[in-house]
Amino acid sequence: MRERMKLFSWLRYATPLDRKLLLAVAILVAVSFALPLRREDGAQVIATVQDRVVFKAPLNIDRTVDLQGPLGTTVLQIAAGKVRILSSPCRNKTCVHMGEVHQDGDVLACLPNKLVVHVESKTLAGKTGHDFVSR
Amino acid sequence: MTLLGRRSAIVLLLVGVLLWFVWSRTVQPQPPLMRTALIMGTLVEIRVYDQAGGEAEADVNAAFAEMRRVEQLFSSAIPSSEVVRLSAATGPLEVDAETARVLKTGLRIAHSSAGAFDMTLGRVKALWGIETDHPRIPSESELSAALVGVGPDSLQVVGQLVSKARPNLVLELGGIAKGYAVDRAVELLQRKGIRSAAVNAGGDIRLLGDRQGEPWRIGIQHPRRADDVLLTLPLVNRAVVTSGDYERFFERDGVRYHHIFDPGTGRPARGCQSVTVIAADAMTADALATAAFVLGPVKGLALLQGEKDVEGLLVAADGRILKTAGLK
Repeated sequence: MRERMKLFSWLRYATPLDRKLLLAVAILVAVSFALPLRREDGAQVIATVQDRVVFKAPLNIDRTVDLQGPLGTTVLQIAAGKVRILSSPCRNKTCVHMGEVHQDGDVLACLPNKLVVHVESKTLAGKTGHDFVSR
Repeated sequence: MTLLGRRSAIVLLLVGVLLWFVWSRTVQPQPPLMRTALIMGTLVEIRVYDQAGGEAEADVNAAFAEMRRVEQLFSSAIPSSEVVRLSAATGPLEVDAETARVLKTGLRIAHSSAGAFDMTLGRVKALWGIETDHPRIPSESELSAALVGVGPDSLQVVGQLVSKARPNLVLELGGIAKGYAVDRAVELLQRKGIRSAAVNAGGDIRLLGDRQGEPWRIGIQHPRRADDVLLTLPLVNRAVVTSGDYERFFERDGVRYHHIFDPGTGRPARGCQSVTVIAADAMTADALATAAFVLGPVKGLALLQGEKDVEGLLVAADGRILKTAGLK
């Protein structure tokens, strides 16, 4: 306890302005710790039907694609860096109502049509530390 | 130093250390210029490391435009393309110098691979429809009919004059055109004064120079584990192309039917899971990768070893890995 008091004893000499400055910097440090915890924006969209990858595309190129599932065609749209299901042959349209997603780990799913759409922040090259992967 | 001065110095030092800490956590090194576009039915990515700003942006856009121009020449799906014109021709046809050059390179590799690389399989490809929404397994009689007259001897290029042995021969340059487009893009960037860049067309890669003084790190896709690479190649100024049975295929009754056809049978070649070729240019690497894949691991390895300035890695159907001498 005595040691701890000694450690912060210099604060007795700090002016109110010094203390405010230190507080501001401490807040800045805390914020900088929080920054990496923010989820990254997604880099690519991967769609699977019955666990088989049927579509892979980057999030930064707008496109609309028809994906075939056991019930019929689900239409997926990538626009302005976000992905959403435009239409689906399923009954409840829950997947359409899920809206648009864009962050790493986000998922859209149409369970009746066996379709799952993932957003991933990194490609295989990014995950494995390569510039590119030849495939 | 007075008490006041010492106190201010400590506070300033503390503030300085904390600010440096925040800066070091948040500031990232200057990233390369990275742009992507959809060309030739695949995602093309261009990265430029040694230039930035509007000029580099314009150069990258020019490279994309060049690749689109090549697509217009060699796509089987574009009615005005040279390939469609040649397929429809009933007699000798004069093509532009560029088309003649690509056909000659293709024919050289077709002959050196004993016909394993074949630019005359257009009818076979159409029968399978692997890149369409409704792929199917053609009957034996359909395949036999589509294979009549195919092969390197059925096509002749003299100067810019192209002759087909049979009028109904349909050309398909999918095994060489993408590599050529990648080469054209890299050559354009080079002419613009760029010295460190890469063009990646869906895994067909050509590297211009190094990456900020270090070799580029190129991973080779594991043919059976989508989230894994087989090995890492440190490369400078090279092209890398992989042909695999896992990119474009459909499955029927547990059998995988992929897009690399054996000209001998008209069916998907079964000797390899994947073949990676490293060469000076992407056009050569592209055609050799297809040829070696069709030949299978042993003859494919022999083909690559016989080519000058070429290295390769083959994954046989049973998973065995074979490498040329330079990769061991």
